[in-house]
Amino acid sequence: MLDEGDRIVEVGTSAQSQFGPLVGTVIWESFPGSEPLFKPYYDKARQTREPVEFVQFYDGNVARVRAVPNEDGLLELHWEALARLDTLTLGSLAETLEESLELLDEQEAGMHRARVRGALRVIEGGT
Amino acid sequence: MSHAFDALRSSAPDAYFVLDDDDRVLHVSLEFHDTRGRGVGHVLWDHLPRAREIYEPYFVEARATGQPIEAVIFYAGRLKRLLVIPGGDGLAVHVENIVELDVTSLGTLTRSLEQVATALADPGSAQRDSRARASLRALP
Repeated sequence: MLDEGDRIVEVGTSAQSQFGPLVGTVIWESFPGSEPLFKPYYDKARQTREPVEFVQFYDGNVARVRAVPNEDGLLELHWEALARLDTLTLGSLAETLEESLELLDEQEAGMHRARVRGALRVIEGGT
Repeated sequence: MSHAFDALRSSAPDAYFVLDDDDRVLHVSLEFHDTRGRGVGHVLWDHLPRAREIYEPYFVEARATGQPIEAVIFYAGRLKRLLVIPGGDGLAVHVENIVELDVTSLGTLTRSLEQVATALADPGSAQRDSRARASLRALP
C-alpha cells in the first residue's frame, strides 16, 4: 500500500519478505529505474479513482499489476508474476524474451519488438 | 612458442582461472576470487549451469591443438571475450566482459542487446572468431 507520496505504508503477508523491510521508504528509491514504468499507471488510478490493471516488464520480470485507490487516498497494489527473463544463454534469452513480449500490451511490446528482434538477428549472425 | 605464449598471457585480461585436464579449477586470479573463489577444487561445470556447451568446445580445441584460442561468447547475461591458453600448468582461461545486459526495462534491455550486436559486428571491439559466431547461432 502506497501513500500519496508513493511511500510504502503497509505490506500484505505474502509480500512481507520482499517489501516488509521497505515500509516507510519511497518505492522508487528501492527499485531504480522503475518510476517511469509504473508511476503513470498509479497516477491514473489516483486521478480517476478507478482500479488500473497493466502488465509491465521490470528487472527481468514480467508482472501483472493492479492498482486500486481507496477512500483514504492510499493506493493498494497487487502483483502477479507472469514470466522471468532467462539470460543464461542466448537461446534461453531469445525464448523467454519472446514470451515476455507476448505478455505485454501491444503498444509497449510493439515499441520494442522490432528493435529487439533486429538486435538478436545481428547477434545470431544473420546480417 | 614460449615467448609468444608469454606475450599473449601478459596482454590477456587479468581475470582468469586455470583448469586441470578434467576441468577442475586449480586456481583463480584475484579478480575472480569473489565470484569463482569457492569453485577451486571443483569441476567448473558444477558451478556454472548450462555453461559446458558454450565453453567446452574452446577448451577441447585448445588442448587438442596446443594453441591459444580466442573467442567471443554469451553467457549469464554477458558478452565475454575468452582467451584460452593451454600450458603445462593447466588450461588458463582469461575472461573479459564486453557488454552486460541491462534488464531494468525493455528499453535498457533493447539498448544493451544492440550494444552486443555492435560489439560482435565491430572487429575492433570484439573478435569475430568463426567459432564464436557458430556458438552464437544457438538462437532459435
